[in-house]
Amino acid sequence: MDRLPQLDLEIRSLRKRYGSFTAVDGVSLQVGKGQFVCLLGPSGCGKTTTLRCVAGLEEPDGGDILIGGREVTRDPPWRRDIAMMFQDFALFPHMTVARQVGFGLEMLRKPKAEVGRRVAEVLAAFEIAALADRKPAGLSGGQRQRVALARAMITEPRILLLDEPIGALDYALRETVMIELKQLQRRVGISFIWVTHDQNEAFSLGDHVVVMNHARIEQQGTPEEILHRPRTPFVASFVQGNNSFHGRVAGAERGLLRIAGEAGSFLVPGPARMAGSAASFSVRAERIGPAAAAHPNRVAVRCVTVEYFGSIRRYILERAGGALLKLDQFGAEPAWLRQGEAAEIGWAAEDCVLHDVPEEAAPASSAAPAREVVPA
Amino acid sequence: MSSIRPGSPAAYWLALPATLWMMAAVVVPVGMIVWVSFWGGRAFSPESPLSLDNYQRFFANRTYMALVLETLRHTATMMLICGVLGYCIAYFLVVKVRSPAWRTVLFLAFVIPFWTSALIRAIAWVPFLGVNGVINQALLALGLADEPVEIFLYSRTGISLAQVPLYTLMASGPVVYMLAQIPPALREAAMTLKAEPVTVFRRVIFPLTLPGVVIGQVLVFLNVMADFATVQTIGGNKIALLPNLVINFYEGAQIRAAAVVAVLLMLCMLAGVAAALRVVDVRRLGAA
Repeated sequence: MDRLPQLDLEIRSLRKRYGSFTAVDGVSLQVGKGQFVCLLGPSGCGKTTTLRCVAGLEEPDGGDILIGGREVTRDPPWRRDIAMMFQDFALFPHMTVARQVGFGLEMLRKPKAEVGRRVAEVLAAFEIAALADRKPAGLSGGQRQRVALARAMITEPRILLLDEPIGALDYALRETVMIELKQLQRRVGISFIWVTHDQNEAFSLGDHVVVMNHARIEQQGTPEEILHRPRTPFVASFVQGNNSFHGRVAGAERGLLRIAGEAGSFLVPGPARMAGSAASFSVRAERIGPAAAAHPNRVAVRCVTVEYFGSIRRYILERAGGALLKLDQFGAEPAWLRQGEAAEIGWAAEDCVLHDVPEEAAPASSAAPAREVVPA
Repeated sequence: MSSIRPGSPAAYWLALPATLWMMAAVVVPVGMIVWVSFWGGRAFSPESPLSLDNYQRFFANRTYMALVLETLRHTATMMLICGVLGYCIAYFLVVKVRSPAWRTVLFLAFVIPFWTSALIRAIAWVPFLGVNGVINQALLALGLADEPVEIFLYSRTGISLAQVPLYTLMASGPVVYMLAQIPPALREAAMTLKAEPVTVFRRVIFPLTLPGVVIGQVLVFLNVMADFATVQTIGGNKIALLPNLVINFYEGAQIRAAAVVAVLLMLCMLAGVAAALRVVDVRRLGAA
């Protein structure tokens, strides 16, 4: 219990239903002091609902929410130590920028002089002092974003909740804004909970990334953990650059599991599993190469197309049966395959990441044929 | 694709029919009324000298002046009652009713009565408000009154009772429109900025619906000021407001006096609309 005050936010088995649709199902999350947390997932996965429950804009059907160690599950939004940035910024159209930014302080009943002074400071800090007398209709997307951020930050909340905060910006602007927001978060030490469906955002910004799907948390951890050790087939396929393989445990050799599926038979590191049980694993595209003698895992493929991105060259490969695989090679190296050519690719056993045993386990899915899923 | 540019000959030709119609139906008659209101002498003819006699006579009469004040007071009362009721109804329909089906049903229940003509609705009130009317019988049956209440019909109260349901829709419609334009996120943003619901309403929702409120008030103002039918039907011959005075003069063949009252009525309305436009720029409504 003495850890609690250290946490900015704790969510315990949060549940939220809309009629028969379960939006959030048993989500638990701990956010330490000044952490940058990204909730990542496809649309409808429950990430925004989770955020809105934290803000107090939705009332959960079950579970607890603690902000700074204080239970707030039934508190209305105006009694929570949070601020929120909305996707379309939700600026008040009838207020000038200065009025808008000062709104939160006014609500805290701060003296007029102090509000004026703080607003001037914050407008200067966000480089929007020149816009003080403008109304939102006269602002560009980037300017609105700054105003919304200034309005949320001025009350110095414990947590800033951001719902797709740069989704409404031009693509070219996003990168700059992302860097600024990250630096700002570091400087002020407020926890950010950032909801996004864009994995580039999540992995480049988050100290802690929470991948959600179908109302549940699939996996949470550092960006490195999620990128390199996906624990479920969903995470492996959702995160770019993974190749997933499905099969059954055929036995154990040299301390490794042998998993056999439609694509072949592979050696994968992992704890003992029931022979015959369904299993899946993934391999990152950059860990695969031309088959070498040391590779226990091999697949015969034909090259469908080659995409060149400068830093990497990505081969889209088709194996017998039609499933696609991805293979990344450093862009500086000479190409070793051309479109239409056949080759054998391979990778080391330790490059395989075994996925957790699915919860609604083996027997039901045992009828499903082994197949390969390649990320889109 | 062809387009008609502003200022091109085609644009003027297109505007011509409406212009002719408006000239014949509005501008010329109004001009004539104004002209007649200045006719001096005793003869009713275009040769009459122009003078301010008619106006002087009208303003010198205390009864008429009292009637002007009475009309303004009655209109202000109606604006207040219809405004408050209309806002409440609009807020309930747009904000509180969550199910789209219920919203449609309630909105229709609210709007359909207005498909009947105002005169018929005014007449329909008579059996309700009379001494032996529905309201009195209900009050007697419930034991809430010992004898029939007489102030319902042929009274200011009765006129107000009949006019409120007539004009609440006008106060409420523009507010419904403005409320529906407000993204829910604005309310939520205000709440996350520590504003309690009453403050959210006062600082965010109401200011954003203000144009709708003002337009609604203008509509109620104009209609109540011009409504002689309800006043005549419900008020009988006991009550008269300015528009009834026009009819009385007209029926008494005092055309010049009728013209004076008509001009004053128009001036009141113009002043009201001008005041409203100073509060809200109606032309910018769509831009918000």
